[in-house]
Amino acid sequence: MAAYRHVLSALIPALALVAGALLPSAASAQTGPIRIGVPTPLQLQVGRDTIDAVDMAIREINAHGGVLGRKLEMVVADETENPETGINAIKKLTADEKVDVLIGGYTSGVTLAQIPHIQRAKTIYLGIGAASPAVTRGVRTDYENGKYIFRAFPLNSQHQARALAEFINGVVKGELGYSRVAIIGENAKWVQDLVPLLRKGATDLGMEVKLAEFFDTQTSDFSPLLSKVKDSGAQFLVVILSHASSDVFVKQWYDARFPMLIGGIDVKSMDADFYQRVDGKAQGEIAANLGVRAPLTPKTIPFWDAFVKKTGRAGPVYSAFGAYSAVMLYAEAVGRAKTTAAESVIKELEKTDHVGVVGRLQFDENHDIKAGPGFINLFFAQWQDKGERVVVWPKEQRTGKVVLPAWIKK
Amino acid sequence: MLEILLYGAVTSAIYALLAVGFTLIFGVARILNLAHGSFYALGAYATYVLSSTLHLPLALAAPLAVLCVAGFGVLLERVLVRPLRGSQIGVLMITLAASLVVEQVLLITFGSEYRNVPSFIDGKVAIGHVDIGGQRLLTLGVAVVALGALLLLIHRTRFGAAILAVSQDPEAAQYLGIPADRVFAQVMGLSAGLAALAAVLAAPFLTVQPGMGLLPMVKAFAIVIVGGLGSIPGSILGALLLGYSETIVAYLVSTSWTELVSLVAVLFTLVLRPAGLFGKRAAF
Repeated sequence: MAAYRHVLSALIPALALVAGALLPSAASAQTGPIRIGVPTPLQLQVGRDTIDAVDMAIREINAHGGVLGRKLEMVVADETENPETGINAIKKLTADEKVDVLIGGYTSGVTLAQIPHIQRAKTIYLGIGAASPAVTRGVRTDYENGKYIFRAFPLNSQHQARALAEFINGVVKGELGYSRVAIIGENAKWVQDLVPLLRKGATDLGMEVKLAEFFDTQTSDFSPLLSKVKDSGAQFLVVILSHASSDVFVKQWYDARFPMLIGGIDVKSMDADFYQRVDGKAQGEIAANLGVRAPLTPKTIPFWDAFVKKTGRAGPVYSAFGAYSAVMLYAEAVGRAKTTAAESVIKELEKTDHVGVVGRLQFDENHDIKAGPGFINLFFAQWQDKGERVVVWPKEQRTGKVVLPAWIKK
Repeated sequence: MLEILLYGAVTSAIYALLAVGFTLIFGVARILNLAHGSFYALGAYATYVLSSTLHLPLALAAPLAVLCVAGFGVLLERVLVRPLRGSQIGVLMITLAASLVVEQVLLITFGSEYRNVPSFIDGKVAIGHVDIGGQRLLTLGVAVVALGALLLLIHRTRFGAAILAVSQDPEAAQYLGIPADRVFAQVMGLSAGLAALAAVLAAPFLTVQPGMGLLPMVKAFAIVIVGGLGSIPGSILGALLLGYSETIVAYLVSTSWTELVSLVAVLFTLVLRPAGLFGKRAAF
């Protein structure tokens, strides 16, 4: 027993030495580069654009000397669209890579699964992809644990529903004179949150909602659903999808020339190459965009052009706007806090007033991005002849009028 | 009602092309080929590459794609399946592995985005009060002709006689001078070609992405269980039953319930009639 104690007493200081060498001290953690963890689905355009935009922001900041004299660096983890992989990505970034902040996300279901792990790691998370209001709910219900979570982008689905209702009022009812709409949406968390609000909003506007239905995200044949909408007598079909196949949806609408105009939130139709990808069959679709190449802020066009130059792609998707701005506003908050310690940076992030690439960014009391004129807004753009994207709503940003496809009568 | 009739027929036609190929190779070689969905995915991607990347006219790209995939089917049988044919589990594992490899290769090469395969026919056709895309009607027509040709091939040609002989007793057929191994490879090629044909026809209006093979594979499996493993008429009937059931559910209930139909059909079949509707071994 005595020998055992003797060995133990010799081992303990040795172990402490090894642990000391392996674990970064508080001092060294504040002197090395500031590490930005990016959990994002690498196989998707939203993921690739997130990485490119974070990289652009980091290069710009580093070119100006970094933050607090420290350079920024990016660590990427693939979160796919699978919650399990998403959790592993967070564990890798927080436990192994010891990042200072997390900037990323796409699927609400994945983000919601990650949140307990982010909170446990006490790491700041700036979401730039998921739209479910539940993502930031913890800030209100349990601030002590929930305070690490911010949504820097996009608008949450409640705000999106409100913006869609305004579009329906202004364009569908006001300009086109339609009174009957149908709403279809994919069976995903953010859409389940959005559709009831939208339905109520449209009804309050005096519109007749002829049909409201969910479809599976794996749906590959929309024809039965489109036929039902046609039979319902709806003049405008509001579609809400992100993970399902927008390409197949518009192609099937166009192939059978279904006699109702389509529009709404169709995330993949935000891609700059969407029109070409579907052989021009998106012509007439009016889709919400979170950014367009227009002088929304002084930074919009320079960012857009620099992004196109860097990537060689036709234009950024929505996650790029959020990712770029999130890095910038985090860097500003660290600069003001004069430390990367989460508690201090959170206090500064809450005071954010940042002119981003598509609008002014401020967080509300739930750490959710503020919406509406002057802040972040939805822009409704119609795919028109030769793949031109024309902004038709809101009025202030309008670049043209709604043009009906040849087979649709007003 | 007319909508259900028309759209149901198109869905059934695609399912039949997939299921008949799947059941054919099982009936002849007792191979449960889990890579069958990969043939479907490869058919679509081959058409995409040939038409959109190499800019071949669609009329040339489509048959070339079918031939390429048929060749891939033959290769798969010769290189991977034949050495393991003695073991059912071995064949299951190797074909499953092949399907996963194909999916990953597609994912790495093309990314996970949806790809566009051009249509043969762009316009719509109005039948009664129903508007239907011309490509769908073409799919229906070509599928009926292809299945008819397949039945003729099996019942009216020497090659068909060899297939029937091998399906009944490969060893006896071998003694009679029929090269059973070559027939297995040819049937695998035929089966792959049929799946690729389904893809070439349906890809312009359905999904084209790396994981696209899984669902058709599940559907083909379900149809074959309902129709009876190894039976071509059973597979055609199963395809009609499933195609129409799904369309009816989509129209009268909700599209989000359609994927459940095949699973329920399989469950009922396995409980009530495990051999399927036409469930005799090798019953062409």
